[in-house]
Amino acid sequence: MTTTTRPTVSRRISNALKQNRGRAAIIAALAFIFLSGLFTMDTGDWVITVLRGLAVGAITFLVASGLSLIFGLMDVLNLAHGELFMLGAYVGWTVYVRPDTFMDMALPVALALAVAFCAPFLAPIAGRLSLSVGASRVVGVVLGVIGFLGAVWAFRRFPLSIWDLEQFDKTPTSDSIALQQGVQTVPEPAAWTGSAVVAIVVLILGVLAIVAGFAVVRYRTRVPEPTNARNLIPIAAAVGAVVVLLAFGDPMTDWLYSISTTYRFFLALVVALAGGFALGALIEIALIRPLYDRPIYQLMMTLGLGFIVIELVREVWGRPEFSMPKPALFAGTGDGCPGEGLGGLFSGCSTVKFLDTRVRMYNEVFIITVGVIVLVIITLLIKRTRIGMIIRAGVQDREMVEALGVNVRRVFTMVFALGVGLAAFGGVIAGPALGLSPEMGSRVLLLALIAMAVGGLTSFPGAAAGAVLVGLLQQFVIKAGSTGIPLPWSDQPFQPSPSLVPVSVILLMIVVLLVVPEGLYGREE
Amino acid sequence: MTSFAPTRASLWSRYRLVAVALIAAVAFPFIVGLLSGQSPAAVLAGEAGNAKFLQGLAIEVFILALYALSYDLVLGVTGLLSFGHAMFFAVGAYASGIMLKSFGWPFWVTFIGVLVAAVVNALLFGLVLPRVKGIAFALVTLGLSSVFFIVVQSSELAKYTGADVGLQGAPVPEWIDTNVHRFRVYLITLAALTIAYLIYRAIVRAPTGAVLLANRENEERALSLGYNTFWFKLFALVVSSLTAGVAGFLWTVQQPIVTPQVAGLGWTVAALLMILIGGVGTLTGAIVGAAVFRLLEYYLERWFGGTAPVLVGASYIAIVLFLPYGIVGTWRARTVNRRQGLDRLRRLFGIRARRSQ
Repeated sequence: MTTTTRPTVSRRISNALKQNRGRAAIIAALAFIFLSGLFTMDTGDWVITVLRGLAVGAITFLVASGLSLIFGLMDVLNLAHGELFMLGAYVGWTVYVRPDTFMDMALPVALALAVAFCAPFLAPIAGRLSLSVGASRVVGVVLGVIGFLGAVWAFRRFPLSIWDLEQFDKTPTSDSIALQQGVQTVPEPAAWTGSAVVAIVVLILGVLAIVAGFAVVRYRTRVPEPTNARNLIPIAAAVGAVVVLLAFGDPMTDWLYSISTTYRFFLALVVALAGGFALGALIEIALIRPLYDRPIYQLMMTLGLGFIVIELVREVWGRPEFSMPKPALFAGTGDGCPGEGLGGLFSGCSTVKFLDTRVRMYNEVFIITVGVIVLVIITLLIKRTRIGMIIRAGVQDREMVEALGVNVRRVFTMVFALGVGLAAFGGVIAGPALGLSPEMGSRVLLLALIAMAVGGLTSFPGAAAGAVLVGLLQQFVIKAGSTGIPLPWSDQPFQPSPSLVPVSVILLMIVVLLVVPEGLYGREE
Repeated sequence: MTSFAPTRASLWSRYRLVAVALIAAVAFPFIVGLLSGQSPAAVLAGEAGNAKFLQGLAIEVFILALYALSYDLVLGVTGLLSFGHAMFFAVGAYASGIMLKSFGWPFWVTFIGVLVAAVVNALLFGLVLPRVKGIAFALVTLGLSSVFFIVVQSSELAKYTGADVGLQGAPVPEWIDTNVHRFRVYLITLAALTIAYLIYRAIVRAPTGAVLLANRENEERALSLGYNTFWFKLFALVVSSLTAGVAGFLWTVQQPIVTPQVAGLGWTVAALLMILIGGVGTLTGAIVGAAVFRLLEYYLERWFGGTAPVLVGASYIAIVLFLPYGIVGTWRARTVNRRQGLDRLRRLFGIRARRSQ
């Protein structure tokens, strides 16, 4: 289409290039690195490197997407995001390898939730008390501490069948190895310590005290909302869950042990997503919200939270790294394996022969697929729904959205919860490929931060693109560690040692920030 | 916020707090010695005991305070959010370790070398200063310090930096050996901290400090008033890097071990925690924060063992929630209220209220 008013296509392209000289140069340089591999290494090697890079990119994306949405909307750099990713992996592992522990934990958690959902009903009482600020704080803290101690006391009396960190044959590590070899022993169901009724009553009273303390502080001066029948739905659901768990806990555990690991893996994904969502909402309401006026203190808060999560994981699951067996769908090794070509993708084998190379079904194919699906879903959420519209508007101008009468605080909670849920989900996805260790969080967080910075701090598509670039660059440098990079000034090729790999990614970030400070996808402010 | 000094204040009123703190600090080991039944002569001779041990802890606190002070100038006064501050400290620590041990240079040459390395390092950070602002500056500095952290641990440089083990046992001259002359090292680090604090206070109260504060509050405004904020920011970086470099040097001398830990993100976070505990931009807050940080870490570890990190994390969150502006910052904010209350009390008894500042 040629009109006199619009510039021609070639002119438009050259204009765009002129305006984005720095971006074009960076993308050209990266493309040169990735494509030059085609000539210096075998096709098979190149394909596998690209696929591995995309897989690392997909995992990074699951963390970076939440990080970038949270930072874009509410200017909070959540430094605990990596640790929440790790916590998701550990919780997912528990559902997957030790469903009995998961079922035992579900009972007190459902009970506590049922009581905690009663907070709105305490508002009228708390509002009636009309305490002064200081008194309400003191009462709140005292109630909270008493409730916490009571809840811990009661919790320890519940029948929890967890591992024994002192004896190696009963640790998470040995459970992992056993499941990998296909010999899974179902542990004996644990018994209540003391009276079950006392423990349940004390737990209910303890959580009630915590909730009451919270209500006394929060609803001190507020006119209580009229209690609404919709508040009853979550309470009814939680109470129903408690009843079901009390009545059918043991048969459900046996059933979970009997089903295929594939189904259990998908159950683990759902639990991690939902648990991360709930935990994220809780963190935003209780810890982040009081600090919106003091951004540096928010950083410190999230850092402290990260330390606590790491130590918690070390206390509960122990220090050493352990693996997470791959689900049965991606672990087939019998007849007809490895599969051939595109048809092999559905053969249920652990590896597939594809373009002269062996591609691992889980590590490469499944992770990349999940990354793409999540990208599509989140993009649709942002572009096509009402909440997505509010998010986009909030990223651009938060005050204006508030002035238009949108309840931005509620959207903040939703986005924070979504981000943490995605990170926990990503942790379960990464578990079988990378293994579990308390340090896995900080490594992913570094990659995700870099991906965010490369793509533009507040841009969601930028986070996706940055994650892919970071993953690809990292894998190509790892590959160069074995083949060596030819240097023009010496005949000895330079082979970077494994510890130098992160430097390449960090240098990419520094160069991008210096050349285009607003990132590849960002806009100049 | 630091107020500007009155033009005609007596020497005593200007240095009152510093003098009292200094006397208390010098007397501290002897008091501890007397309480645990050691004579002052024994404390001076550095005999093993409670006094010697607490001096060792205090030396670490002084060095950390020096480091926190340097971060407070960058973050609290100038308003540059740098996440690579550990590199300032680590360059000092590693430069002194490498020069003393790997090169075998003499002590004073090493000291000069550390100062040069610190200035070069500050100029490196200064190079990126005009390009990136805010969070982008934080990420670039984080990147620079992460590169340093990874490079000192790499096997390629193991000959000089000792890879991930670090440098063990840097040769330190006998007159400053912390095991023999503990009280002397104590005085030296105390003197370094006092001098640095006085210099920093002078800088903040001088017109230069006013421009630094203006840069923190509103950089565009400072620019439009005709100040080239770049040079002021660079000045703050150089001063801060020199201080942190000296802190790293003293750390190497008294440990005498250099581990890669001092270059990691954790070390920057430590500085951030120290000044957040004490109060951002208050200078004295950095010193208080360093003391609280080190003592909390040490005593929680000693009393609670393995669960200490959880308690440390929980106490940081408690400090953030309940002391919103840090210890010194909250104290200063409350002082106004206290003064008003005292004045009201005085009026009640018919005494004329003191002129409030």
